[in-house]
Amino acid sequence: MHLQLITLQGVSVDTDIYELMAPTAAGDIAVFPGHEPLVTLAAPGALAVRYEKGDKDDELEYFAVSGGVIEIAPTAVRVLVDEADRGDEITEAEVKAALDRAQKMKGEAKNQVEIEKATQLIDRAQVRLRVAELHHRRRHH
Amino acid sequence: MPNTQALKSRIRSVKSTKQITKAMQLVAASKMRRAQEATKASAPYTDAARQLLANLAGHTSVKGHALFTTRPVKTRLLVVIASDRGLAGAFNSNLTRLYAQELISDDRSGVGNATVTIGRKAAQFVARLKDTEVLGSYQDLPDRPDGHELHAILDTVRQKFESGTVDAVDLVYTEYVNSVVQRATVKRVLPAGQDIEPDISHQDVAYEPSAEEVLDGVAYRLVEAQIFQALLDSRASEYSMRMMAMKNATDNATDLIDDLTLEMNKVRQSAITQEIAEISGGVEALND
Repeated sequence: MHLQLITLQGVSVDTDIYELMAPTAAGDIAVFPGHEPLVTLAAPGALAVRYEKGDKDDELEYFAVSGGVIEIAPTAVRVLVDEADRGDEITEAEVKAALDRAQKMKGEAKNQVEIEKATQLIDRAQVRLRVAELHHRRRHH
Repeated sequence: MPNTQALKSRIRSVKSTKQITKAMQLVAASKMRRAQEATKASAPYTDAARQLLANLAGHTSVKGHALFTTRPVKTRLLVVIASDRGLAGAFNSNLTRLYAQELISDDRSGVGNATVTIGRKAAQFVARLKDTEVLGSYQDLPDRPDGHELHAILDTVRQKFESGTVDAVDLVYTEYVNSVVQRATVKRVLPAGQDIEPDISHQDVAYEPSAEEVLDGVAYRLVEAQIFQALLDSRASEYSMRMMAMKNATDNATDLIDDLTLEMNKVRQSAITQEIAEISGGVEALND
């Protein structure tokens, strides 16, 4: 099954995989080769890729993705998201600092728009933190 | 005739100007190369979004969707993308000229006008105008804005269009054709999908949660990709034009230094000649 992970910054993954676990509006879905054609909306969260059939769970590769669209065909999957950060590209310290800033922003927010903006930033940082954590857990095995 | 001292200090000042323009030229050149690569990077995203939209158009009626609704244009929103800094040749003046033309044509045809500015130079230009309502202004965007910065702009645009405050949204930006040609252009982004051909070869595809909701997500991303592309194109054009402007300035400074050096040598030579003439004149007078 071929996976293409396309973001505004370019194509970040373009390779053959065995399984894709993706967050959608209706919960996480797992996609294997031969899946029926489906187009669905991706939710912000952790996207996991199993490259080979026999790969164990601690060999999964994780990506922090923002919302987008997932297009599934029997032999190919195309994920269209604004941002996708590979687990090893995320620096936890940076994300924690961003999270602190966002929480401070929320505390000082004066109107609904600012609160929403801060909440979005907090969600984004939390997703990235979770992906960084998943990635680290994988490495320690 | 000017004295050598004055000429010397002029040469010194032109030389230091040249150093600065040369440095700016090199900085712009290296930033241009990076920006140039970035303009190509978002193409797969745009293509994928367009193709999804074509499939969707073959599956369900897109005309009823809020972002696709074509209405008679009573008010138009212009998103003007200029730079934060000057000294980029004709970059900002070409753009503001085109923008002013669009404003005049709206005024003549009785269409209301609203503006969102991106870049300090655009904000400064619009601040002097009375014929448009400024809905938002964004400055100091990074060279490669991430999805988050884009959403603020996108949400303003989308909300104004969906609520019916504006009936069309156009981008006014500089298209990056190549490193020599950059063109100020106007491009319509909303209503979306004007040039999409429905593709009916993917009828068996299922849409979750529903075709309408997926359509909403895809349309939003297509508009986003178009705005993103316009931002990247503008940035690459800006650096390209700044590099050219600074190259010209550096060349001019080199010519000026050559001319001034020549003149200084002439002045010095004639001063020496005159002194010798005076001395030998004096010697002649003593001998008589």
